[in-house]
Amino acid sequence: MDSRTWRSALYALVYLPLGAVAGYLLLLLLAAGTLLSLTFLGLPLIALVLTCWRQFGRLHRRLADVLLGERIAAPHPLRPATGRLDRIGRRLGDVVAWRAVAYQIIKVPQSILAATVCLAPLAFGLWSATYPIWWSVVPENSGRHKHGFPIDGFYFDTWPRAFLICVAGLLVLAAWPWLLRGVLVLDRLLARGLLGPVRMSQRISDLEQTRALAVEDAAATVRKIERDLHDGAQARLVSLAMSLTLVQDTLRRDDVDLTRARTLVDTAHQGAKEAIAELRDLVRGIHPPVLDQGLEPALRTLTARSTPPAMVRFDLPTRPSPAIETIGYFCAAELLTNATRHSCAKHIDLTAKMTGGLLVLRIVDDGDGGADPAGGTGLAGLRARVRTVDGRLHIDSPPGGPTIVTVALPAHPAGG
Amino acid sequence: MRIVIAEDTAILRAGLAELLGVRGHEVVGAVGDGDSLLTAVDEYRPDVAVVDIRMPPTRTDEGLRAALQLRERRPEVGVLLFSQYIETRYATELLADRSAGVGYLLKERVADIDEFVDALDRIAAGGTALDPEVVTQLFGASRRTHSLDALTPREREVLALMAEGRTNAAIADTLVVTGRAVEKHVANIFTKLDLPPSDTDHRRVLAVLRYLQS
Repeated sequence: MDSRTWRSALYALVYLPLGAVAGYLLLLLLAAGTLLSLTFLGLPLIALVLTCWRQFGRLHRRLADVLLGERIAAPHPLRPATGRLDRIGRRLGDVVAWRAVAYQIIKVPQSILAATVCLAPLAFGLWSATYPIWWSVVPENSGRHKHGFPIDGFYFDTWPRAFLICVAGLLVLAAWPWLLRGVLVLDRLLARGLLGPVRMSQRISDLEQTRALAVEDAAATVRKIERDLHDGAQARLVSLAMSLTLVQDTLRRDDVDLTRARTLVDTAHQGAKEAIAELRDLVRGIHPPVLDQGLEPALRTLTARSTPPAMVRFDLPTRPSPAIETIGYFCAAELLTNATRHSCAKHIDLTAKMTGGLLVLRIVDDGDGGADPAGGTGLAGLRARVRTVDGRLHIDSPPGGPTIVTVALPAHPAGG
Repeated sequence: MRIVIAEDTAILRAGLAELLGVRGHEVVGAVGDGDSLLTAVDEYRPDVAVVDIRMPPTRTDEGLRAALQLRERRPEVGVLLFSQYIETRYATELLADRSAGVGYLLKERVADIDEFVDALDRIAAGGTALDPEVVTQLFGASRRTHSLDALTPREREVLALMAEGRTNAAIADTLVVTGRAVEKHVANIFTKLDLPPSDTDHRRVLAVLRYLQS
């Protein structure tokens, strides 16, 4: 008789009106809508009913969560529509709403069953358990036995028999929570089956999300390139032009100051070299040329310049598609930077291998650990980027312990 | 001339200061953002402020905002805005109500130190200095292209130089013609385009720009 049982009982009782009454209301509305579909009011009415029942689905999930402890993930939201006709059409075709409607209709008999199983044994049990009390209170009828209720002419009219009924009642009361739980298993199955996410629409929703991420990512990358060029290379070249202007000025005079001219030319020369180096870094950040030769040479070059020293192992019998190589390379680069910058690691271990059509990169460092996607080290962004190709990013980073980050990417993305 | 520079990239700031110094101007302040610019102008009272449009914190148009505030608070200080790329909208905003003592140049113009210093002189003297690139873009974007066809090629050249804010004398020098020829061209232009008469060089810049953008 714990809180779980009482909450289950509450659930069963709440659903008597919520299940049966709401279900009849739903059927009435749908019938009205179907009849009216001969006019222009019918379909919008059905669409409205479906919209309401989608929200009802949310209520049912909430109740299941609070009262039954049954956590069901929310299905995907309704996608925005273009124009009124499209809006009605979307709502009529909303699989989530129709499933909620089906749930409601099945709940009509189911809720009655559950409420019956909830109340009847409880009532019987209480009545039977207290039978001896009011059996002794009922006055003797003339000519009749003092009895409670007969079974085949067997009257429970003596104290021991009264106690028999009492015991029966207590047994029923003891069994009641289990009966309740049993009947509510049907409810759980129903809720899970009809109120949860729909696999295909979930996939579509997933794809839409990752596509939006990919588009934003691309825009951000382009902005970053523009900024880097503007602030870096362009500024240096303007500065170089200024230095050369000063040189021109110096050489144009009648009393040419050669020392000054030499200094200026040296500065200009230095500026030119720095501009070249910056451009080289920028290009490497966009697409390192070595990546064209494959992931192995690219990662070797990447780790060659890393401190702390990184050990690399490769098992790449075939090359994944170029896009995957690029994503894999930049993932490895960012994870390497993280390991170097944030974790004070002394050893880094990088493995790249192909298993079962997947490119798997594994980076292990013996640093401080505690890497968290929510921590703002770009891990969340990395995971999002990896998701756009249906890849997975797994982080195992206990605080203090070694950090192991695994990136799994399909070697040849679907649809590519 | 006393000059304050506002430019966030250190190497450019230093380079500009050196260039201006070599040409005999006194760089009294060099700052890296809009607020510091206003403080520096209040403190050092320069003749001209040379301001980069893109500055922290958002690196979009802080320089322009600061320049407009400067125009309001200290209209006697000339403002030369410069940026690494053209945005005609900035030129328009800058010249919105009056064009005296205002200029907009491309950063690469500093490579031609004579032009740069000439622009500064014009601004300090209360004139206007628009980058030829800006003028070309304004001409190109204008819906009045067919009326501009009514002008002779020479007149179009004069119009472009006028829009840059040059004086008749400077135009005469650039085109290697006499001052009287320039005056005649200018009069013809004003008649053909039906522009309101302007008594000063910078007012005629406004007239031309308003014409181009209407």
